[in-house]
Amino acid sequence: MVAFTKHIAREWRFMLRQRYVLILLVCAFILSSFAVFTGVSEVSSQRQTIERLKLADETDRLEAQAKYDDPGSLAYYTFHLSYSEPSNLAFAALGERDTYPWKHRIRMLALEGQIYESDAQNAELAQAGKIDFTFVIAALSPLLLILLFHDLSANERTSGRHDLLVTTAKMKIHLWGARIVVRLLAVFLCLLLPFYVAAFISDTAWSSIALVSLWCFAYFIFWTLISVYVGRKSSSAPRVASALIAIWVLFVFILPILGDLAIKQAVHSPKGGDILMVQREAVNAAWDLPVETTMDAFVAKHPKYANYKKEHEGFNWGWYYAFQQVGDQTAANLSQAYADASQRKYDFAAYVAMLSPPMLLQRKMTRLANSDAIAAFQYEKEIRSFHAELREFYYPWLFLENDFDKAVLSDLPNFNNNENQHKKQNKVDTNER
Amino acid sequence: MTNSGSSAKYLLEAKSLCVSIDNKNILSSLSFSVAKGEVYALLGGNGAGKSSTLKTFLGFNLPSSGKVLIDGDEVNESLDKVRRKTAYLPENATLYPHLTARENVEYFLSLAEISKSQSEIDKAFERVSLQNDARDKQLQTFSKGMRQKTAIALAILRNAPIFLLDEPTSGLDPVAIDEFNNLVRELATSGATVLMVTHDVYGACQVANRIGLLRHGELVGQFEAKQNEKIDTELVHAAFAQRQTSEV
Amino acid sequence: MSNQTKASLSISPVLSVAKDEWRYWFRSKLAMSVLLIGVLLTLSSVVVTGINMIELAHERAAMQNSSEDTFMDQPDRHPHRMVHYGHYAFRTPAPLSMLDPGVDAYTGNSIFLEGHRQNSAMFAEQKQSTGLTKMGNLSPAFILQVLAPLMLILIGYSAITRERESQTLAFLLAQGTSMFTLLTGKGLALFSIVILIMLPVAIAGLFAIVQGESTLVVLYFLFTYTLYLLTWTLAILLCSTLLAKNSESFTALSFIWILLCIAMPRIASTSASVVVPVAGKLETDFAVLADLRKLGDGHNANDPAFNKLKQSLFDKYEVDKVEDLPINFRGAVASASEEELSKVLNRFAEKRMEEELAQTETARLFGWLSPQIAVRSLSMLTAGSSIETHHRFLRETETLRLDFVQALNKTHIEQLNYIDDINRNNGEEGWAKARVSAENWKIIEGFKFTTDSPAVRIERGFSSLIQLLFWSVMLALLLSLASKNLARRASF
Repeated sequence: MVAFTKHIAREWRFMLRQRYVLILLVCAFILSSFAVFTGVSEVSSQRQTIERLKLADETDRLEAQAKYDDPGSLAYYTFHLSYSEPSNLAFAALGERDTYPWKHRIRMLALEGQIYESDAQNAELAQAGKIDFTFVIAALSPLLLILLFHDLSANERTSGRHDLLVTTAKMKIHLWGARIVVRLLAVFLCLLLPFYVAAFISDTAWSSIALVSLWCFAYFIFWTLISVYVGRKSSSAPRVASALIAIWVLFVFILPILGDLAIKQAVHSPKGGDILMVQREAVNAAWDLPVETTMDAFVAKHPKYANYKKEHEGFNWGWYYAFQQVGDQTAANLSQAYADASQRKYDFAAYVAMLSPPMLLQRKMTRLANSDAIAAFQYEKEIRSFHAELREFYYPWLFLENDFDKAVLSDLPNFNNNENQHKKQNKVDTNER
Repeated sequence: MTNSGSSAKYLLEAKSLCVSIDNKNILSSLSFSVAKGEVYALLGGNGAGKSSTLKTFLGFNLPSSGKVLIDGDEVNESLDKVRRKTAYLPENATLYPHLTARENVEYFLSLAEISKSQSEIDKAFERVSLQNDARDKQLQTFSKGMRQKTAIALAILRNAPIFLLDEPTSGLDPVAIDEFNNLVRELATSGATVLMVTHDVYGACQVANRIGLLRHGELVGQFEAKQNEKIDTELVHAAFAQRQTSEV
Repeated sequence: MSNQTKASLSISPVLSVAKDEWRYWFRSKLAMSVLLIGVLLTLSSVVVTGINMIELAHERAAMQNSSEDTFMDQPDRHPHRMVHYGHYAFRTPAPLSMLDPGVDAYTGNSIFLEGHRQNSAMFAEQKQSTGLTKMGNLSPAFILQVLAPLMLILIGYSAITRERESQTLAFLLAQGTSMFTLLTGKGLALFSIVILIMLPVAIAGLFAIVQGESTLVVLYFLFTYTLYLLTWTLAILLCSTLLAKNSESFTALSFIWILLCIAMPRIASTSASVVVPVAGKLETDFAVLADLRKLGDGHNANDPAFNKLKQSLFDKYEVDKVEDLPINFRGAVASASEEELSKVLNRFAEKRMEEELAQTETARLFGWLSPQIAVRSLSMLTAGSSIETHHRFLRETETLRLDFVQALNKTHIEQLNYIDDINRNNGEEGWAKARVSAENWKIIEGFKFTTDSPAVRIERGFSSLIQLLFWSVMLALLLSLASKNLARRASF
């Protein structure tokens, strides 16, 4: 082993003399730094946005609470902020956070009418995709490795040095082994150094850093082995590289696209628009239905309020919120089917990812960073349970009690209160996968 | 020299060697041997199988039957041991053009796990008469003769007792050829064993002790070369009368 | 020799160079398989995307109709109930979006229109995706922008280096074939590959014309892609001329491809979002809300914010009680407040769209750094699947929203008695009386979202076209310089 380090040192010096290898490595370092730097700035701007929203939300709610006194109006006019904070690894895997919403303001009206509102970012930029560390590793690093490794022996063959090198070297591993190790090491350093710096700044968990390093390393080895294997006998470097780039195109584009087509065919989902339609019809029809019809449907799911206070003719808030809820109940099956279809599609994609290492890596990274579709689904569930908490808070005042005391507003459920608990849940999820 | 303990009479030996690549017979029952201190030249036209013979001694071709021995060891059975004893000079002597002569030598010596001092390296450069000011210049500025000198300096530094030379004089100017031939003779007098393949009839006669004529992968003639003596032209012509297909 | 490079170009040597190049490709497995895969890939993407987009167009048109029908089928009601019942608008894709779907999957394509609110477009398809198409999709646009250049590189990288390595280049030049003839011939051969790849796309273009797209736009669309691939052809010839070895040419070209087609588009969008940050809708909504509070609640006719309106109506009809007004005061309040509210909402919406456009245009500036970005913008703008078209959809739906809400408010003002209106919550009878005939729901007009006019779309893409032209002219100039240099040099 000591002897081998001598060969490593020699090949390291040798590599530093090769201009084109240096250019590639410098480009890799710049790209990785850029991706990591913009990732950090994106995450910090998301955090700042959340802070600003929290403040504005608080002010706005207090204002509304000062203005109204009855529970019905209070529930109607107060909005509640919910958000999903970026994790400490999100800078490296921005994931689906540019497509799925990570912030919402909801109130106690029918949730189906609110939850699909999305505060999406610029669609044209989202279509082009953003560059993040995960992309640099999953998509760009294989190309870098291909360029570095495809001509490992082909180049020596065409230059006529191959035979001399092989007959001179005391052992093959001293030559090829050392060369491979040196280039691999250089790639690893150039791509991961920026990540380590950012991870240190972002206070990322050691376990995450270790896991990311491990995956990257395994991924690099995978592409190195392919490159070296394909190029082991050929004396035409371009031919080797063509074959390798074809494999890359297959893994990065073709297989995922075919998988996507197949999954779209296999999984049927209700149209999102239908959920809204059903919900809208139910809520609107309720105005024309006898109050009892709505209340019966409501009580069936909320037996606690079977003895609701019956008001006389005309508008009353209890009935209003009951038919909002009944609207949600009517659409519940559709909504569940829609969510299930999304989940199933994402789950099926896991099988496709088994065939495509870049996809696999991307899924692993975004899962670890909690920025994938699963995180988005989870966030949606959190909003639903928060909405339920909110309703449970107001319902007694709307249906049972008479004397509402504004002081109880201090016990109003708050989305962040659940945060720690959710975070724990996420951790468990991560471990299971 | 490191060949201590060798018991073999011949340092290089081919015994009824047959090699075929892609079902084509390249060499058929080739037998010859080179003794210590001897310079042996394999002479033949394009496609005669000269380079294939050399590659078989280097362990790049697997014999389909017969044997190739270096210092008594079968090449493919103890490749590493055998390669330590041989210095190979490829046809174009291409080392790394972006490195200087000295850096090239140092790089390859390190690959072979041999450490040499700068003065030893300079001594080797002197022996091959590579000018002082050229030693620290990048190889891309070198002529072919200078590159060859660098490669031989490397071979000398490796202390290899056996030299395998592939068309060493092709593309050299007459002065360089002269210099090179003298160097090979000098190596042989100091005990080195040399196998060279060439199609330069007159050069081979000048430098070799013995000459083998190769045709279609077969040894068609073998004779002692005595300098300045008349060559059996008929035999040579017979060896060079080839099918006009190009070498593989 | 320099005289010969100042080509007097005659056609037949050029053609024989091109023919020879084709013969080389026919004999090389690599070139043929790349070509075959390329054409198959383009063809399948054209078919799959075409079918998909036509289905989507039909589906959305059908949903638009059914939404209008359900609205009109509603029974007699209080008109304000219909304001909240709301209406849907669907964005039908442009005919050319079967070649470039653009932002279609990334923006919601339906929008719920109701009183007092501007909803965002919901249910972007990307939100129900597998996440597998994050790196690239099957659209012909993607294939042409990203994969076609790679195929051209794989086929053409050795155009000149090959001649140089086998020393036929010196031979050709020595016998009087000019470098210009050689490059034109090789370029012609590569260009014929471009034509082959473009063929399925052109057929889809014909189909788009049948679907109602302007012929001019389709031709322009095809022209821009041809120009783009021609740019790559020039880049390939340039590298092949500048560099001495096949392997160098290949490595350089693939490196350029990685930078320009894979890394740069993402660098562009990331940079744009960092340099020109756009506040999310949620954040601007706070400002909207603050402004709206000043307007007063349109449901509450007693809100002091409407005192001025009340007074002006009293003056106009010379009465001093709302009950005496010949019109329904509650309707008047609803209408007036909707008008004001819409102004506020639009002010913020316009600002947001402007910011988003500024951000997009910043990303498009990167077209100077990568022709892929230039052609991507140009393609979406020409096809009518860019962010501008989506913004117009948002504007048109807002007009639609305000129109139907105000039409309902007009009914509220004119056809519903004020006394009946305020007694609407007093028992079944009052409830039954406070409504108007369903005939009034016929105000919904058929909404059909169409693409911008050809002139507008072509004008929008002008700066991207300039970028693309810049690339091709620059590369052509460099190529001619490089070829003169090579022809003069003695050693190869």
